[in-house]
Amino acid sequence: MAVYPTRNGAGIKRRDFTRIGALGAGGLTLGNYLRLAEAAEVKAAKAKSAIFVWLGGGPSHLDTFDMKPDAPAEIRGEFKTIATNVPGMNICEHLPKLAACADKFSILRGITHNIAGHELGTVYLNTGNRPVPSLEYPGYGAVVSKELPGANDLPHFVAIPSTPQKAGYLGVRSVPLQTNSAPKIGVPFSVRGIALEDGLTVEQFTGRQRLLDKVDTAFRELEGKNALIDGLDRFDQQAYDLISSPTAREAFDTSRESADVAQSFGAHNFGQSCLLAMRLVEAGVRFATVSFSGWDTHSGNFKKSRDDLLPQLDQGLAALLRTLDVRGLLATTTIYVTGEFGRTPKINPQAGRDHWPRAMISLLAGGGVAGGRVVGASDDRGEGPAHEQFTPEQVAATFYHTLGIDHRKEYHTATGRPVMIVRDGAIIKQLGL
Amino acid sequence: MATNIQQFSVVDAAKDMFRITTVYLVLSFAVSVEAGELVPTVSHRFTGPGVEEVPDLQRHVLPLLGRLGCNSRECHGSFQGRGGFRLSLFGYDFAADHASLTKDGEGRVNLDDPAASLILRKPTLGEDHEGGERFKPDSWEHHLLHRWIEGGAIGTRPDGAEFVKLQVEPQEIVFATPGETAVLTAIAHWSDGTREDVTDLCRFRSNDESLAAINGAGVVTALARGDTHVVAFYDNGVTPVAVLTPVSDSTGKNFPPTPTPTKIDELVVQKLSKAGIIPADVCTDAEFLRRVSLDVTGTLPTPKEITTFLADESVDKRAAKIEELLNRPTYSAWWATRLGDLLGNSEQNLPVGGEQGVRRQKSEQWYDWLRRRVEQNVGYDEIVEGVVLGRGRAAGQSVGDYFAEMSAYFRSEEGADFAARETVPYFWTRGRFTPPQPLRFSYAFLGIRLECAQCHKHPYDQWTKDDYEGFQAFFDGVGNSYGDRRGAEEMKKTLGLTADQDSSGYKKLFVDLAASGKVVPWQEVTVSSLEKRLENARRSQQKTGGRVFTPKLLGGEEVTAGGSEDCRAPLMDWLRQPDNPYFARAMVNRTWAHFFGVGIVDPPDDMNLANPPSNEPLLNYLAEQFVAHDFDLKWLCREITTSRTYQLSWKPNATNERDERNFSRALVRRLPAEVVYDAIVHATATETDMQSLHTDVQTVRSRAIGVSSGYDNRDSAYVTKLFGKPAREGICDCERSNEPSLLQTIYLRNDTEVLKLLDRKESWLQQVAQSQEDVAADDWIRAAYLRTFSRPPSDPKLVGARQHLEQVDDARTGRRDLLWALLNSKEFLLNH
Repeated sequence: MAVYPTRNGAGIKRRDFTRIGALGAGGLTLGNYLRLAEAAEVKAAKAKSAIFVWLGGGPSHLDTFDMKPDAPAEIRGEFKTIATNVPGMNICEHLPKLAACADKFSILRGITHNIAGHELGTVYLNTGNRPVPSLEYPGYGAVVSKELPGANDLPHFVAIPSTPQKAGYLGVRSVPLQTNSAPKIGVPFSVRGIALEDGLTVEQFTGRQRLLDKVDTAFRELEGKNALIDGLDRFDQQAYDLISSPTAREAFDTSRESADVAQSFGAHNFGQSCLLAMRLVEAGVRFATVSFSGWDTHSGNFKKSRDDLLPQLDQGLAALLRTLDVRGLLATTTIYVTGEFGRTPKINPQAGRDHWPRAMISLLAGGGVAGGRVVGASDDRGEGPAHEQFTPEQVAATFYHTLGIDHRKEYHTATGRPVMIVRDGAIIKQLGL
Repeated sequence: MATNIQQFSVVDAAKDMFRITTVYLVLSFAVSVEAGELVPTVSHRFTGPGVEEVPDLQRHVLPLLGRLGCNSRECHGSFQGRGGFRLSLFGYDFAADHASLTKDGEGRVNLDDPAASLILRKPTLGEDHEGGERFKPDSWEHHLLHRWIEGGAIGTRPDGAEFVKLQVEPQEIVFATPGETAVLTAIAHWSDGTREDVTDLCRFRSNDESLAAINGAGVVTALARGDTHVVAFYDNGVTPVAVLTPVSDSTGKNFPPTPTPTKIDELVVQKLSKAGIIPADVCTDAEFLRRVSLDVTGTLPTPKEITTFLADESVDKRAAKIEELLNRPTYSAWWATRLGDLLGNSEQNLPVGGEQGVRRQKSEQWYDWLRRRVEQNVGYDEIVEGVVLGRGRAAGQSVGDYFAEMSAYFRSEEGADFAARETVPYFWTRGRFTPPQPLRFSYAFLGIRLECAQCHKHPYDQWTKDDYEGFQAFFDGVGNSYGDRRGAEEMKKTLGLTADQDSSGYKKLFVDLAASGKVVPWQEVTVSSLEKRLENARRSQQKTGGRVFTPKLLGGEEVTAGGSEDCRAPLMDWLRQPDNPYFARAMVNRTWAHFFGVGIVDPPDDMNLANPPSNEPLLNYLAEQFVAHDFDLKWLCREITTSRTYQLSWKPNATNERDERNFSRALVRRLPAEVVYDAIVHATATETDMQSLHTDVQTVRSRAIGVSSGYDNRDSAYVTKLFGKPAREGICDCERSNEPSLLQTIYLRNDTEVLKLLDRKESWLQQVAQSQEDVAADDWIRAAYLRTFSRPPSDPKLVGARQHLEQVDDARTGRRDLLWALLNSKEFLLNH
């Protein structure tokens, strides 16, 4: 049986084709929608959208945002620190663009946990809940897109190109739309299902939809009485809106950006993925994830970091922050950057660093989070928190808080078990919240 | 069990609020009156102070605290406690709760000055209490707790009587109209023969608060027409009471004559006639064929098959079709997949490292093993035996022979036939991070959810933490390792398997060696005998203290001697017992849910006492017969699908349009994920390809309903995930989702994959376009309807479709449009 919220009363009216046409042509604009959403119940939070940047593999805290210039060489590593535009906030020399906009983000140091495996660590940091075997927690995107109503002609949870975040016990309705690839500079970009394929025009698609309406009449007598039928009718209308309106199509097509803007994000997958995430949020998508893997540097940590990882992260993330800011979106968009753990302070014989969950870093920016702060600290050798320690749960609760989502809210799983969005969470006030 | 229906009146105590009502009460002779007077309820015994009787912790004090909500999750039942005071969640840890209540220096219980005890002061708001007022000063609750403290606040006595059962009268309530009320009386039975009215100490719950309400006094009020249960909880007793308010006047003698050709129909109609629900008409032949093909074989019928079936005039053609479907390769392919869901066949199998490179093959082997048995119609109990007693190395087999045997299965050329093995070990080698084995076992074979009992008493069932730990003891002796560690290491060296076994180099070499026919070392499932386990447990208990948990079957006996080298053997013996209360019922109920979209117990994997079947005689009948037929799965499918009940139309009438639990009409259901994808492939295939999707064993095996289950890189992986195919990582039937979603609709409307399937090189549209013969528009339209809706179009629809084909510039575009529209219709996506 469909376990699907039943709409009471008359249910959904039979779709009236002319009405839909009008909607598709802009009857329900995003602006209208956001006003409605706001009037209804979007709490006093500053953020309306979120971008989650996933550094899969576990970035080294010691070679990025938690440098130990005074530690012995076998810990300190090869990189030097540089000053940022925020006095006292020093980061790695290979992150100069981020250093120039450090006032736009804050660093959380001394985050700590004890899961040193990729798989479970990934679940932990993508859900804010320590994994348990008998329950699959929903990822951040699933929760955010459920809690914050989104526009009809846009997907609500988009993963670029994919994400470890799952819908978990929230079910198939909270599954992300995965782009499966990253955009390239100057090349029109589209995503399966969103853009019309094979030269099909909106008129032709509308014609097909009209034909569908004529053909699909068998269950009319169940309308308003059957949750499954009504749900399918509602999705039918939404899908039509989404496919026929230019909003989503244009939002995904990064080639509509000027060459200057596109170049500023960098000619690499990560940068262009950030550009896409920015465009999606600009259009009104609630949640976008960008996945950037390759941080599992068991060997050749410094070479990989210097040549590939850090320059790309630097360029893409800095451009994301700056462009959001320029377009007035940074205040309403929370950005959360993290991997699943930090890396061993002591450099191994392969010039690599291994898994180290006892100390890691995350970044938070936008959405009312104060920029230019360093919250928490690891000890002199970067082995664990120096004094106050933060958990992934606390970061998760803080992240949700910026979006007006109470992490203590309870959902019920399909088996009736009550589960808090984040158990044992707490808001990190030092971020100006 | 003989029952006697009496009619009598109940006067409710509550003044004018409730009218005098007439209820039908079913008294069962099975509830025999035992020795001893019935002790009246505590609210009468403790009306004033100065009562002589001292209440008992287990019988009175903790149930009262439970009923007052003190040990709920929000309050002191929280694992952190509240205000420094913690009670066991839902109250079954008597010793811990007693310790917590009487802890020195906390003042919760003050033996010197009972009235000053915090457990009296706080809930009466004599002192601040975050939980607010729970009872009034000078109430019976107050007197009861006060008297317990005065009596010394005694805990449970080790020699105290044991709780036997909770009897609730009446056992069934039939109201005439909403607004009527009836009163329940709950009686606790103890092993010393005492019987006590515990109505005032029970917790009550209504399973559907829109239909019936129940208050703390046990007064049940009918709120709307329909049927549900109210449930009483006391100690670990859970007793449901059926509550029914007929939907129409068509009950009993007024029920219209309804054919009941099978026993199932008889039992279903018995309930319907009581509830005043008139079943739908029988569905059309086309609807039947579509429904039964999808349910039995996960496959749409072919146009030719439909035409032949509709033209067939023999009276038994439906039964004959069922028989035919049960013998198709699609039947075994689809049911092996469903069994794989239940057992958790996924690539997440052990060990991690080393053999990891052949994870997928192992999962495929398991699938093939199951498929073979479904095809041969091996009894469900035997299939389960092969899984539960799964071994790597057979008893008496040398480690070397075992390595050679296993390696042979993975040879790329002339690999040995894994499905011929007597047992399959992979249930016991599931991934490291999976739910504990007792949970998986009880989920799969018993239809019971034990998760709660890992930490606290199940809130709606009899299971306690002790029950869980006793059951867990059966599983402690199962492991996974090399039978001969040194031999395995030497063999690895010889083979050049010297890299870190987690490295990709090792895994690849391992796969290559096995594929090339070399003998490689394999880990194996290890089991120890129950006796050995018990001896070890006793020894370690002597050393370290703590409790020894004796293996105890759920709701059954302690097992101290397995009489077998395998600690799992007693479990299997128990499953097989004809009177096992769960094993046959769980399978019968799940199979029923497969065909009806809703179980007789629903959700189908939650067979707890507080969630009784909507039709107990029906479930009993099917379970008994399933056992009597040696757990014959085809018999079960046949018995269900040949019933008139299965063949009812989905079209509702005024009496059954709200009914979703009494099988009075077919419920429309979204097709399962694999079936959706396969149906699109099927509907768009050339005629030849379409036929082989039904009959060619290798083609069927590689379909989404077949072995491709769960593999991420198949064509069907995206769509099946999107449509809710279970990852087989959890322990809930709900892991498979048939809910709709926006992305599903977008997929069907506009995904590249669907558009490509429509127009692929080997597609029907291409075939028609390239055909030398002229295809008449009407013939093509009819065929398109048969391919998708499994029925011919009505005349007006035929005309409408023809008009569309004529309107567009070229016929091919028109055909593509129409096929697209049909594939995107609810009538295609739903089983109806």
